[in-house]
Amino acid sequence: MKPNIFVKDKVAIVGAGLTLFRRRLLETPRELAWEAAREALNSAGLTLKDIDCIVVGSAPDAFDGIHMKGEYLADGSGGFNKPLVRVFVGGGTGVMVPAVAWWHVASGLCKTVLAVGEEKMSHAYPHPQGVFAYIWDPILERPLGPNLIWIFALEMRRYMHVCKASKEDIALVSVKNKRNALDHPAAQAAANITVDDVLKSEVLVWPVQLLDISPVSDGAAALVLASESVARRVTDTPVWVEGIGVTTDNTHWFNRDLAYPRYLEYAARMAYKMAGIERPWKEIDVAEPYDPFDYKELHHIEGLMLARRCEAPKLLREGYFDRSGELPTSPSGGLLGVGNPIAAAGVMKVAELFWQLRYEAGARQVKKPVHKAVANAWGDLMQVGTVVVLST
Amino acid sequence: MSLWKKSRVVDVIHVEGRMETEKYVYTPGLAGVKVAEALIEGKIMGVRCGGELYIPAKTYCPDHSEGELVEVRGPWVIKSYTIVYEDMYGEKLDKPVVVALLGIEGARGGLIHYVDVDPDKVRIGLKVEPVFKPREERRGLITDIMFFKPVEHS
Repeated sequence: MKPNIFVKDKVAIVGAGLTLFRRRLLETPRELAWEAAREALNSAGLTLKDIDCIVVGSAPDAFDGIHMKGEYLADGSGGFNKPLVRVFVGGGTGVMVPAVAWWHVASGLCKTVLAVGEEKMSHAYPHPQGVFAYIWDPILERPLGPNLIWIFALEMRRYMHVCKASKEDIALVSVKNKRNALDHPAAQAAANITVDDVLKSEVLVWPVQLLDISPVSDGAAALVLASESVARRVTDTPVWVEGIGVTTDNTHWFNRDLAYPRYLEYAARMAYKMAGIERPWKEIDVAEPYDPFDYKELHHIEGLMLARRCEAPKLLREGYFDRSGELPTSPSGGLLGVGNPIAAAGVMKVAELFWQLRYEAGARQVKKPVHKAVANAWGDLMQVGTVVVLST
Repeated sequence: MSLWKKSRVVDVIHVEGRMETEKYVYTPGLAGVKVAEALIEGKIMGVRCGGELYIPAKTYCPDHSEGELVEVRGPWVIKSYTIVYEDMYGEKLDKPVVVALLGIEGARGGLIHYVDVDPDKVRIGLKVEPVFKPREERRGLITDIMFFKPVEHS
């Protein structure tokens, strides 16, 4: 299968870095960006002098409470005397960041890109939920007093109904991811919990309970992307970005299929086509599906076509998605376990696949040999899907 | 139809909204905490990376290298200035306020602050010095410096 676009330069990830993910960090957003960027550069054996262009990803300005946050974060992300672009597609930002970095390099415009995702959600008081409340349509929805979890509760309930999935099935995702995160040095919400713990946790917006949800977090993550010629010079183990995909479904969520993430299937098809992948369920070795909620990982496994529709809960029960399983998902611990500083969380997922494909994930390394990997993120008005396919 | 043509917005059906974020609590950061502590001591900090000194102080320098926090001492010099006559609501101020970009020799960057000087006397190159609040009133904020004032010629 031929790639569907003209690519001037092949693109590789050559470095990755993370800060700790925590509820309230002392660092300023800029300092978080700087820490992650510095670690990514160090891991690539490069300095800022070697970087041509900067991509910064961050979700709403209102989280950090700083308007023009991308420009603010330029300082710390290395955006000094270089071209810089800020990427913002809500929760989808984290995987949009490497996708945009990819097109900077693939186009031939830049040989090297430093790509940074940052979020500091602890600035907003009393809770960043107050910011989320204003993504709603001001005429049809806001007068009802919704909060963000309403969408997820209705989606989860619809998925349970259509796929005949139980709360127990879905809780297993939280159990798996929080357990995986025990091996992640940056993790905020790692734990050994049981399905029973999830089912007994505080009910927020039925059927969503406290342990079904990822935490509110501060943190940053960064990647270094390079053209083939640079990548081969700086590392023996480049991780190639083989495909990217971006799709938006209907912006009005009443008009979407809540049981199935169509936004993701279309984005995934775009990325797989570029990567020459025809049977993702056989060809993908390890995946980081976006998991801000436990049911969302199942949703996204199906949208990524790693399982048939409604089949993910059954495979999960059989251990298929465990680190030792046939297709490990969220070996990092995901957003449920490592934490969810929005834009940084998606970049963290791509960083995890970078480490997995280089066999550098330490205690988190999956059992099976790995060659091809996929990550996705989701968000904006819950209609955007972003996908990156990696390979060695 | 423009709402501006109506005398009052309530003449048309509408929905009012207010972001339910009561406030933001910004942490000063790793370097910022030390800078704040220095302000309480009546000191202004910069950051040194290699041979370069930058103001204001941060954890890192523009070249991305980790910096060393150092106290910077005057004399401060006005590099540019403006004179403010109205507040943000367009109300005339009782007395014009001089705001200046201040730097010191040998350092890049600088600080923005008020200068207590007659608007007729302000000029680029004027030497000034900080006037701090009394020690017990300092909170580690940039406003612990009340203003800068011209250095007295003795």
